[in-house]
Amino acid sequence: MKDIAPSPDQSSGIRAKVQAFGGFLTNMVLPNIGAFIAWGILTALFIPTGWIPNESLANIVGPAINYLLPLLLAYTGGKMVGGKRGAVMGAVGTFGLIVGADIPMFLGAMIVGPLGGWIIKKFDKAIHGKVPAGFEMIVNNFSLGILGFLLMISSYLFTGPAIEFANNLVKGGIQVLIDTGMLPLLSLINEPAKVLFLNNAIDQGIYYPLGMQRAAEVGKSIYFTVASNPGPGLGLLLAYTFFGSKTSKRTAPGAIIIHFFGGIHELYFPYVLMNPITIIGMIGGAMSGIATFQLFNVGLVAGPSPGSIFAYLALTPKGNFLGIIAGVLVATVVSFIITSFTLKAIGAEKEEDDKESFEQAAEKSKSMKEEGKKVLNSRGGSSTIAAENISKIAFACDAGAGSSALGATTFRKKLKKNNIEGIEVEHYNIEDVPEDADVIVVHKNLADRARRSHQNKRIVTIENFIGDPNLESLLAELK
Amino acid sequence: MLGQYLKGNTKFMGEVSSWEDSIKIAAEPLLAKNFIKEKYIKSMIDNVHEYGAYIVLVPGIAMPHAKDEESVNKTGMSFLKLEKAVEYPEEKEVKIIFVLAAKDNSEHLELIADLSSILADEEVLTKFKNVESEKELIELIKTVEE
Repeated sequence: MKDIAPSPDQSSGIRAKVQAFGGFLTNMVLPNIGAFIAWGILTALFIPTGWIPNESLANIVGPAINYLLPLLLAYTGGKMVGGKRGAVMGAVGTFGLIVGADIPMFLGAMIVGPLGGWIIKKFDKAIHGKVPAGFEMIVNNFSLGILGFLLMISSYLFTGPAIEFANNLVKGGIQVLIDTGMLPLLSLINEPAKVLFLNNAIDQGIYYPLGMQRAAEVGKSIYFTVASNPGPGLGLLLAYTFFGSKTSKRTAPGAIIIHFFGGIHELYFPYVLMNPITIIGMIGGAMSGIATFQLFNVGLVAGPSPGSIFAYLALTPKGNFLGIIAGVLVATVVSFIITSFTLKAIGAEKEEDDKESFEQAAEKSKSMKEEGKKVLNSRGGSSTIAAENISKIAFACDAGAGSSALGATTFRKKLKKNNIEGIEVEHYNIEDVPEDADVIVVHKNLADRARRSHQNKRIVTIENFIGDPNLESLLAELK
Repeated sequence: MLGQYLKGNTKFMGEVSSWEDSIKIAAEPLLAKNFIKEKYIKSMIDNVHEYGAYIVLVPGIAMPHAKDEESVNKTGMSFLKLEKAVEYPEEKEVKIIFVLAAKDNSEHLELIADLSSILADEEVLTKFKNVESEKELIELIKTVEE
């Protein structure tokens, strides 16, 4: 079969990989946006500089961003790689990381979470079928317990400090750029550092102290604005509102309110993390913002915290309003334009890829067998996987125990009968189908639910769990 | 394995008034032996109300089940054969009903494996559709059990 497979040129291979990675990040972040919003509202309201400061409720802010949000990302990331056990493992491992460092561990969580899932998946695979009946539960619990313990310790001892070291490098780099006097260049470091949730570290650790020295001398400082301008984030979220893909498009407008008016920049970070290339728009927006502030020679009297448009206006000294507003506006427009183009480019490429792979797969299947006429059932899905790439088929149903098990068992037997090897056939409840499944087989009545939870997967819908024509053609495709 | 589980859990009847009743009647042996709680029957019926007749595995044969482990005391399976088909949603005619009650996610898999052997083999399936007594049914299952 290999001979009919068109070999993709290298660049499209890399592009596909980058996109797959982007999709992975998106799926890790998106389910948790609600938690970011909850935290954002809380923070905007209750911190000392918030709208209704409340010392005791503000106590939730720190633990929520240090523990809750990174753990949620780690849990989701682990789940995508290694199912429920992977989720637990990812969260356990990340906890060591969180305690091992004193900055919010988002980047680390997005690495250690999936890593935890991967470790437990590999382990489970290695011992698959070797555990005597009756011991599954104890082996499952203790294997996860022991591996989780080890991952927790190694994250605490090594990964956490490594990420903190990187953080210190960032700080050093900023200092170097400040020394050059080319302030717009700061955005090159600021923006990536911000979306890794180092915003408070750089603002309160570097810019605000610098700004306060200047403000004490001349009454205002531009340093207060270099990383706190709400414009670039607004531009990004607006771009997502108009040109984002389905889910991000719907959530972006809400994020705008909390970001721009509430001043909680963290709300837009996930949108950059899910499509890291959009950082270009953020840097462009922030740079043009700083350049505008410089051009008008304006500054703020104190550090705007939170970085809301209201805080900006409240801290603008007399005579600086035009320049400050212009800086925010310019940053918004520039970031909006660049991000819009970026999103459109990504979107267009994705479609193109789908079309390509769809055509490839169609051609391949045609030449395979006449009876395998209608092998493609990618309605609603956005990617089609060529036959030789199928290594795991998931049968899914509501409970994940009855009909899906029957379908999987029967299909496994059929594969064996036809001497097809190297394909894993498992059964799950719809929401628990792991990320590494290449094809999901589901009854047509449950297809919508399957599509909702697995937007990027090829979904084969069937009416009968045994002997369904679509199952037959899937089998034909695998021969 | 499947044969053992079905012993004393089979029913043969002329007809039933509705698909809901077919599930209730088919599940009776499991309820009587306290394998399931009353609520499990409702869960199975609700499941069909919600997702339609996806429990009809192949034409004529349904396997009602539900994700409601709390109402299951012990993994088991029961069997009902009707002479006159009953109509399930989406106009699906069903004559044979297997009620599956699964306590955890592994014990019932052997049952499923045996059931799969019956349904996947046309010859066996034809014989299976014509069984008229529990004895005949269990004999037939023996021929396919692994």
